Amino acid sequence: MAEQPLKILDYDKLEIGEELGSYEYLLTQEMLDNFRASIDDPEACFPTLAVKHDATALNIVYNDTTGGVNAGNEVEFFNPPIPGKKIFVKGRIADKYLRRDKPYLVIEATATDEDGRLLERLKTYQMKKPDEVGKKWNPQT
Amino acid sequence: MESTNIEIGAQIPSVTKSVTTESILQFESCAILERENIHNNEELAKQRLGTTYTLASGRMSIAFASEAMRKFFGPDVFHHTGSVNLKFLRPVKNGDTITVTGSVSSQRQVENGTEITVDLHCENQNHDRTAAGIGTAIV
Repeated sequence: MAEQPLKILDYDKLEIGEELGSYEYLLTQEMLDNFRASIDDPEACFPTLAVKHDATALNIVYNDTTGGVNAGNEVEFFNPPIPGKKIFVKGRIADKYLRRDKPYLVIEATATDEDGRLLERLKTYQMKKPDEVGKKWNPQT
Repeated sequence: MESTNIEIGAQIPSVTKSVTTESILQFESCAILERENIHNNEELAKQRLGTTYTLASGRMSIAFASEAMRKFFGPDVFHHTGSVNLKFLRPVKNGDTITVTGSVSSQRQVENGTEITVDLHCENQNHDRTAAGIGTAIV
């Protein structure tokens, strides 16, 4: 991936539909093996889940100093990726909204391989006030 | 359009997984961007969330639910037409045992077959729900 200066992520300035980073990488057998071991599923075929395509697309463009909590994921599977093939990823800001006064950011990434096969589309719903979730999970603190 | 023999209420195979610090870190190691986050850096998790532990990525639960769906529909169907959509309700951390269960809730005709919807739930060893949502596949 080409190194680019990162922009500071300012939630208010993000635009719905905004293109995020596009990048490519080589999927290796080692990545697939690691993924399968991490989830104890020797038949799992989408190590792309752990590569975190959408978060990567955001993080190669923005420096997100606030962080966020993953409130949910939506993933669609089209074709299993093949080790030894390059994977091409395109990311975008799919949505942003306030819910119960908390800001949410929806990022989306679509992955294809070097043969043009559509592999996976992934969305993440990030809640951009992680300390609020911390209070809910740790009411004593 | 052919009808399916999958009945509403049919249970999908449950999947139970032990989550450990090692499995959380191994999952994180699959990323192509080396980055400290609340899954691999306890200090950052404390700073951002106030927790005393790192969290398993929600995507691990997506992977667990995907395995349960794949076992029900078969890889030929699920890997080409499947989807999983989960909301994360509670943190998953080292020492947790997560069980995914699901049952068929609806089906509808679509252009290339019948789309089956499965209600999905993830629970920890205390029977607290950690995630809930749906999965779909077209048969």
